[in-house]
Amino acid sequence: MDVLIQIILNSVIAGSIYALAAMGFNLIYGVSRSFNLAHGVFASVAVYAVFFLAVQHAILLPIAIALGIFVAVFLGYVLERSIFRPLRAKRASNLVLLIASLGASIVVEALIAIFFSSQFQTLSSVVPSFGAVRIFGGVLTGVQVVMIVSAPLVLALFWLMLSHTRFGKAVRAVSDDEEVAKIVGINTNAIIGVVFMIGAGVMGVAGILTGFDTGLDPRMGFLLLLGAAIASIIGGTGNVYGAFLGAFILGFAENFGVFFVSGEWKYAIAFSVLILFLLFRPQGILGKK
Amino acid sequence: MNYALQTKNLSKVFGGVHAVDHLSISILKGKITGIIGPNGSGKTTLTNVLTGFHEIDGGVVAVSAEKEHERINSYEVRSLGMTRTFQNIRVFEQMSVLDNILVVLTERGVFASLFQAHGAFHESQAQSVLMRVGLWEKRHENAANLSYGQRKLLEIARALAVNADIIFFDEPYAGLFPEMVKLVSTIMQELRDTGKTVVLIEHDMALIRELCDHVIVLEAGTLLAEGKPEEVLSNSKVIEAYLGA
Amino acid sequence: MEYIFHLAILIALFSIFAVSLDLVAGYTGLISVCQAAFYGIGAYTTALLMQNMGLNFFLALLAGMLLTGLVALILGLVFSKFKGDYYVLGTVAFTYIAYSVFINWQSLTGGPLGIPGIPRPELFGFSFSSSFSFLLLAVAFLGAVYVGARFIVSSPFGRVLRAIREDEEAISVFGYRTSFYKLLIFIISTMIAALGGGLLASYLTYIDPGTFSITESIFVLAIVVLGGLGSLRGPVLGALILVLLPEALRFVGFSPDIAAQMRVLIYGLLLVIMMRYRPQGLVGEYKL
Repeated sequence: MDVLIQIILNSVIAGSIYALAAMGFNLIYGVSRSFNLAHGVFASVAVYAVFFLAVQHAILLPIAIALGIFVAVFLGYVLERSIFRPLRAKRASNLVLLIASLGASIVVEALIAIFFSSQFQTLSSVVPSFGAVRIFGGVLTGVQVVMIVSAPLVLALFWLMLSHTRFGKAVRAVSDDEEVAKIVGINTNAIIGVVFMIGAGVMGVAGILTGFDTGLDPRMGFLLLLGAAIASIIGGTGNVYGAFLGAFILGFAENFGVFFVSGEWKYAIAFSVLILFLLFRPQGILGKK
Repeated sequence: MNYALQTKNLSKVFGGVHAVDHLSISILKGKITGIIGPNGSGKTTLTNVLTGFHEIDGGVVAVSAEKEHERINSYEVRSLGMTRTFQNIRVFEQMSVLDNILVVLTERGVFASLFQAHGAFHESQAQSVLMRVGLWEKRHENAANLSYGQRKLLEIARALAVNADIIFFDEPYAGLFPEMVKLVSTIMQELRDTGKTVVLIEHDMALIRELCDHVIVLEAGTLLAEGKPEEVLSNSKVIEAYLGA
Repeated sequence: MEYIFHLAILIALFSIFAVSLDLVAGYTGLISVCQAAFYGIGAYTTALLMQNMGLNFFLALLAGMLLTGLVALILGLVFSKFKGDYYVLGTVAFTYIAYSVFINWQSLTGGPLGIPGIPRPELFGFSFSSSFSFLLLAVAFLGAVYVGARFIVSSPFGRVLRAIREDEEAISVFGYRTSFYKLLIFIISTMIAALGGGLLASYLTYIDPGTFSITESIFVLAIVVLGGLGSLRGPVLGALILVLLPEALRFVGFSPDIAAQMRVLIYGLLLVIMMRYRPQGLVGEYKL
């Protein structure tokens, strides 16, 4: 019984992190209509910024976290301006965008490895200790509680933004049809730019939380990105709510799968789920055909 | 009457809307049949269904009155003796003009195509269709480098190359210069004279009147009227459908 | 001199991988990021058959290619349903699944420790153990692959592949069952990759899962993108540049760990730059 509870808790934790990663990823997909394989670097740079500031330079953790998120947002702006916008202007195909973003992703990853080494490191010396929480016989750390709370919180914020603000309305218009949005006078480049920054910020949060929870290495961003991509496809590409749903399905599939086979097969399980969805429901659960 | 193609209760539904709605029409063999109708009346959808781009949602298609098909896969279209052009040009952009033609003359089997010799016969066939549309000089250019009208002609040449019995032309005249328009009209008349069946989707009523033996008018996926061009084009229902929208 | 032979062998082997990828990516328009997984299957099969069963290299290599082809047949049936971006993601997924198998099926693959002591090829009592003789072997195989690939792409079959790349729906209406074409070229491509993989295993005499990770698949893609999609000279040129360029860094005096990251940095940067300024690559004939 306790094992089952712990698996469920682990699934919810994994789902929450994937949800944070996937919602921004999918929002960006919605407006730019291409998979941004560089989305993972936002998580990596944020958590390495925290590592650099808080661990290596003993700067107060809240300030380090704020700066870490800022670095992610800034990088989101830089990548959008320097790679995606010029390629969109050239009407480059999706594959070009995909390969360029893959290239950007491994560049940032390599830079991090060069400056911080490719070794696994931890933030344990600065992690705020909230103590552990016991629920129904399962155990959650304070960081994990924050993860579980922030995913629905961010979902609610996305919902508020998309449904109740002028900006959100513009985002939805661009997602529906960029050409039409342009014609009715929406500055689509500005909208896409801001969406990139929002997505990057949320991904930064996901990266920092993962860093607190387990630790950090230069690959973590790419792995989070893959989780985000799988969750988005499960839920329905371009749909923020679908990403949330897909993230939890992925989290549960992974953790229950791992229970039945073993931990090393986690990625194989996740990617098998992806291939099954690509085959049988490529538009995702909430997607329209 | 001799029919090249018939549809019986043919339907195609997109998201609950019948783009083609229980449509029963007959295309005369060896004639030019015009299909007209306001935008969104289902002309291109009908072509797409008949050439295997969309699945049939209801009804059947009979080609040459031989067999009724409830399903047509796009790769079967050729063996049913049909071919087509596209409303929005779909030539193979990053291939030479000559390759655009040769590729449709390739053996159909995977292995046959791998070991097929480049037959002089195919090259002469390609040469004759390219010369027909005046693109032989451009044969080594990439299709992407041709002008709009030339690419449109290349598509027509590609359709001619396969020597099909039924050829669908989906708005072949759009964006063509007058001398090209004349060329396309001549080609269609020649096709008819050699016994081919031509289906022409076109908005220009003068061309329809000039070329077609039979006209089918669609509205909202259903048959509004059909008959000889002069009758149909003076039909009050047809005039209303065009002007009333 | 040994060092130059070593580099030349790497160039030849990566040219084989790149040419094999170009058949699907450049000529058929299927951007596949799983080439390393397939040359991994070839490498592991060749290595295991030689070590455990004492099979001759050339027979083991053939078996590796056949097994890879079989995997590709099954996988190709799945992949033929995907298009564009989704195809890319599907192939990324397979790279991870294959990597999981290499690293987790410990009883067979030795897991993270890999397989050491793989013998060099032997033929009629002659051992290709010196670098120079292995180089000749690698170049001979590259030559055969190049000629074979040239035959395929200039055949009418190759022309249909290019038409599939340009507009799959349009070519299918002219009577081609495009999924068969895609499946066959995919199988051919992976079998060529497996050939290179077997050679790589025997040359390095040691393989571990890291040799076949997604990073390597992306590296091969970078070679093709740099050299030029849809040409056969392109991948060879790309392999030449991308194998030699990081070597230059070692002379500048970076530590091996940093140099390894610099190699990744360089090809990542090249991917971005090529996409931004020259998507057809240096001598390519296909613009993505």
